[in-house]
Amino acid sequence: MEFLNFLLICSAGFLVLRRPQRERLAFGLLVASTLLTVILFLIGTRTSILPGFNY
Amino acid sequence: MTRNTPYGVLTLAVLALVVGPIGTAVFVLGFVYGDSPCVLCWAQRTGMVLIALVGLFVLRYGPRPRYVGLGVLIGAWGVFMGLRHSSLHLGRDVGQGFSVEIFGAHTYTWSMFIYWVCIVAMGVLLLMLRDGEATATPRQLRPIERLTMWLFLVAAAGNAVQAFASTGPPPYMGQGDPIRFSFTPANWVWSLEEWSPAPVSLRGRWGIAKPDIAGLESDPERGPLGTLPVLSEKRRIHLSMPFDGPVTDLAYDRTDDRFLITTEKGIYIADGTLSRVLRRTIVDTGFSVDLARFGGATFVERGTVMALSENKSYVILRESDRADAAKNFRFFLESFDEFDEVARSRLTTVRARMMYVLSVAFDPESGSFYTVTVPNAKVKRLVVSRFDRRDMTLSEEFTPALDSSTGLALAAGERSINEYYVAGAACEGGHLYALSAAFNTLVVIDPGGHRIAGAYAVPGLARPVGLAFKGTEAYILGEDRTVTVVEAPGLPLSRE
Repeated sequence: MEFLNFLLICSAGFLVLRRPQRERLAFGLLVASTLLTVILFLIGTRTSILPGFNY
Repeated sequence: MTRNTPYGVLTLAVLALVVGPIGTAVFVLGFVYGDSPCVLCWAQRTGMVLIALVGLFVLRYGPRPRYVGLGVLIGAWGVFMGLRHSSLHLGRDVGQGFSVEIFGAHTYTWSMFIYWVCIVAMGVLLLMLRDGEATATPRQLRPIERLTMWLFLVAAAGNAVQAFASTGPPPYMGQGDPIRFSFTPANWVWSLEEWSPAPVSLRGRWGIAKPDIAGLESDPERGPLGTLPVLSEKRRIHLSMPFDGPVTDLAYDRTDDRFLITTEKGIYIADGTLSRVLRRTIVDTGFSVDLARFGGATFVERGTVMALSENKSYVILRESDRADAAKNFRFFLESFDEFDEVARSRLTTVRARMMYVLSVAFDPESGSFYTVTVPNAKVKRLVVSRFDRRDMTLSEEFTPALDSSTGLALAAGERSINEYYVAGAACEGGHLYALSAAFNTLVVIDPGGHRIAGAYAVPGLARPVGLAFKGTEAYILGEDRTVTVVEAPGLPLSRE
């Protein structure tokens, strides 16, 4: 899934650099990648979502 | 300051991110040294890449609100990720951690700092902007900005390569313990371990319920040691003294023939017949140390008592007829002039960590305090902890073993002494007596031999919370303020 995420990021970066008129698509890819990052972190921490402090 | 100044600063910031943590992580740590990120490290690294990408959006299109908003959100999430990941290793010893160190700090701790710097940098850049700076049309990039974008793409592509080798194509994803990076496909491990079912929890192992003796099995016959010799009831005493709440423990002072009784916040000294309160106070359990609810109590030196909370925090008070009420306002909620506070702190344990206690006993001969854990849903171990009175520091911890020479044996099935729920304890004759509210059993522990020297059934008790010895009798305090007096057990069975 991390590989997929970096494909999204590379695509967004390429659009910003070489196809700036596709801003909406590039920003959509950026948002999708952000959400995927959050989801992957939550999957990895689902057994203890909050930091392991002495609450 | 020219119109290009903020963009110049932003370009340098993005370059620093791309060349620093993002590029170094993949090309140096990854490709040169073989370091592979774990599933959490991947998310932290990706977040930094995303912040750099937001910077590129601003360079190209200007500081549109949605870019700035998303940048702040990613930065805030990154700080959270750094906290969450670093917290996994908070309790470890110096130098211990996960994977590699950079300048003396492990990589996952650096991310917390880097995200924080990113948020600060965004704030500074926003301060530098003029009104109406956002543009509807793409900006013409300067050479340095174009170079920054290309470097970003190279770093992102490098990360894609490492991600493919280390984590694989979807649905494979990062692993908790990744093996080192390799360009050789035969060494690649693609895993679905993170997709496996697991309980979802907010606090994880810290989500431990407070101890509660309600609902415990009371029949000694159903206990882990099966049928035991019975301590017969001699009489019952109902405490008619006024208490501020439910009683939680009992102790006896043979020197002055007095009892000590605690409630959740109260400390009461009663006469030897348990008919009259001689001295009392209500402790402000919220001052300084969180004393929560008192679960254990014991006399210490003459005129000194200790109350221990379920969370192993304690307060030691000294009786005084001339206590300064004004000075003691901070320590007590009522009766400010009957005690002086000597100490208020916490006991630290190792084996007994993550478990509550409901008992404390003091052995004057060895100058030691003893606590015994109660099991919880996550940790089920009966651990005896000994603390030196001189410095209140953990001196020994053990799980008492069954000694076959005593004739005691576990009942059939998957039974364990960890099923006992010790709610009261007392030291007598060099032994530690632990009264379990589960199965109404009095367990005799030999602290020197780390073994169980005997066990007795005490049927008929209703939620026992405290234990004390007076002469040849054992006094067992129940939650209903009834003291059940039984004949104290004889000398524990000796090791033959």
